Amino acid sequence: MPDFGQSLGAAIAIGLAAIGTAWAQSRIGSAGAGTIAENPDLVGPVIILEAIPETMVILGFVVAAMILML
Amino acid sequence: MLQKMRKILVTGSKRNSQEVVDVLYHAGTLHLEDVSNRIMEIRLDKWEPEIREEITALLVKIGGLLLTLPEVRVDKEHRNQVYDEIYWMKYPDLVGRTHAVLSAFEHSVKDLSARKSDLGLALTALNRYEKTIQKIQSLEDQLPYLEGYEVTVLLIQKEFEDVIPVIRNELMKITRNQCEMVAAGIDEDTIAAITVFNKRMSEEVHSFIFSKNVNEVRLPPEYMGMPFTEVLQHIEGRRKEILDEIREIDGELKALSASGFEEISVLRDVLVDRSREIEAFDQFGQTGHFFMVMGWVPEIYLDTTRDALFSRFGNRVVVTELSLSRDECEHAPTFYNNPPIVRPFEFLMQLVRPPKYMEIDPSPLLAFFFPLFFGLMVGDIGYGLVILIFALAVKKRFKDLDWAQSLMTIMIISAVPTIFFGYLYGEFFGDFGELMGWLHPVHLFGITWNRIEAMLPLLIFTIALGVVHVFLGLCLGIVNAVRMKNRKHLCEKVGMLTAVTGIILVIAASAELIPVILVSAGIIVLIIAFPLLIYGGGAVAGPLEIMGTVGNILSYARIMAIGMASVILAMVANTLGGSMDVALLGVLVASLIHILNIALAMFSPSLHSIRLHVVECYSKFYEGGGIPYKPFRKKPEI
Repeated sequence: MPDFGQSLGAAIAIGLAAIGTAWAQSRIGSAGAGTIAENPDLVGPVIILEAIPETMVILGFVVAAMILML
Repeated sequence: MLQKMRKILVTGSKRNSQEVVDVLYHAGTLHLEDVSNRIMEIRLDKWEPEIREEITALLVKIGGLLLTLPEVRVDKEHRNQVYDEIYWMKYPDLVGRTHAVLSAFEHSVKDLSARKSDLGLALTALNRYEKTIQKIQSLEDQLPYLEGYEVTVLLIQKEFEDVIPVIRNELMKITRNQCEMVAAGIDEDTIAAITVFNKRMSEEVHSFIFSKNVNEVRLPPEYMGMPFTEVLQHIEGRRKEILDEIREIDGELKALSASGFEEISVLRDVLVDRSREIEAFDQFGQTGHFFMVMGWVPEIYLDTTRDALFSRFGNRVVVTELSLSRDECEHAPTFYNNPPIVRPFEFLMQLVRPPKYMEIDPSPLLAFFFPLFFGLMVGDIGYGLVILIFALAVKKRFKDLDWAQSLMTIMIISAVPTIFFGYLYGEFFGDFGELMGWLHPVHLFGITWNRIEAMLPLLIFTIALGVVHVFLGLCLGIVNAVRMKNRKHLCEKVGMLTAVTGIILVIAASAELIPVILVSAGIIVLIIAFPLLIYGGGAVAGPLEIMGTVGNILSYARIMAIGMASVILAMVANTLGGSMDVALLGVLVASLIHILNIALAMFSPSLHSIRLHVVECYSKFYEGGGIPYKPFRKKPEI
């Protein structure tokens, strides 16, 4: 059973990463929507760009899991 | 793999020019290049056809005919025969035939169409009268019936009802008190003001109403002085007559269509083809006596193209294969030539710019790793089966949608590793299979591959997979650099490969996974890598790029993380479903959450799998920016 410090650490690891990802995705999303409105052919690259910041929350999740399990 | 391309120059006598263009258009293998700027030794004029405007005019007329004529089913084979017959006609004959067909049909179709349009307008007016009269019928008793008086109905929105007294006063003034107005609400928003006035003042009254922009429904003169019930009967009778007449016209149009639709539509197609041919004429060149067409042909179609021209023109038209410089090869169009299993993945390649002709085609890499990553992430026998059935059903239902066919084939291929990894993880709709005792996670290499418990081994495995994938990308980057003879790129890729190998050696030796002595070896390898990176990527950017590549490798942890999220959601579905007192409700709740999870599983792992390729792997070797092969031919029908 993880102690309070571990849980807090894991929560901070994933929570801050999630906030960062959300902020980045919101910026990319709005810019992407504008881009697609101008040129619908760019939908593919925009989807990929939108997925790029997810790395942060995924790495945050991995760190959180390692804090709890190691 | 990309198909080898050959560059050809087609030359011949100017007399045959149009026919040669027809043959090339029909063969549909030549990716055109602008010849007029290329051959400097001979002065070439732009090939300016004079028939452009004539074809456009004919197309407008034919388009109008086809819009009016009802579509009829035609025998595809017979239509193709007619198409072939008309397509190979000489241009004057084609124009002659088009004019003959137009004169046979145009007059009668236009006449029928105009009659139908008039009847349609009359029908709309009748409906409007009927609607208004039905609404004001209740006011009939209040209206005086006087000889020499006209009735008109003003429709006023309720919010502007204050204007009614103003209008009444004005009308009184205009008609010198020979006017009566009765107003009543006909629905929630509208008031009808029925106005009776002396016919002699008709012009002044209507111009006043028009000037005030009031919505007016004027009854036709024949309905004047007639009781509303009788007017409604008249309208009903007239409507029947109009509908009968429209049906009669439709029958005549159908008969005309049966005799001419096929030929007219074929003429339209042929003229559209000729018009497209003309659009490409700008890229052809000519002198006073001969013409030139230049372009790229995939090696597999070279003989077909030659044969098509030879069988029609013999030696009167010459096809010359041009020798290619390195620079010209750089500009060759790219044409995928992959085995059937890889072909659907070319669809996903559309998300990035196509590879250059000299580059390696990454689609086979995508075809191998995409299903692998997808399977590792979703990893559930039940989900795999559902995805398989769903993809098969969509493929069967939407046979004409190319994108759906490609996507669903990718899903079918990806369902296989999903089922395999589902067996490895012991998952059937999450832990449902395990709870029922049907299957258990496989124990392999000393690890029980239960995704919840074997989190760390899975994390290490996915990062190791990332090392393999990124290393493969770097190796392909080395191959590309050798092909392109780019020394800097070569040094950069080799340096990066060496640097990452050094880092792995240091980490593995420090963690005592390999002999500790190899720490020094790792450091030496890293030191060797630095000059290569600095030469290839720059003094600062080169070494800094190591961090980027390590980040790329760690990014593969998402395979484990997304899989974990999926399995936890599946377990939530089972736990929530199992906690319900009513079994049926439990099954329903669990099914709904599983359906949501499967929908997410089809989207998110696909997206991340593509992303791992495009961002993490392709960045190590792929440049893109090639010109897609677009042969000069009839556009496929949508």
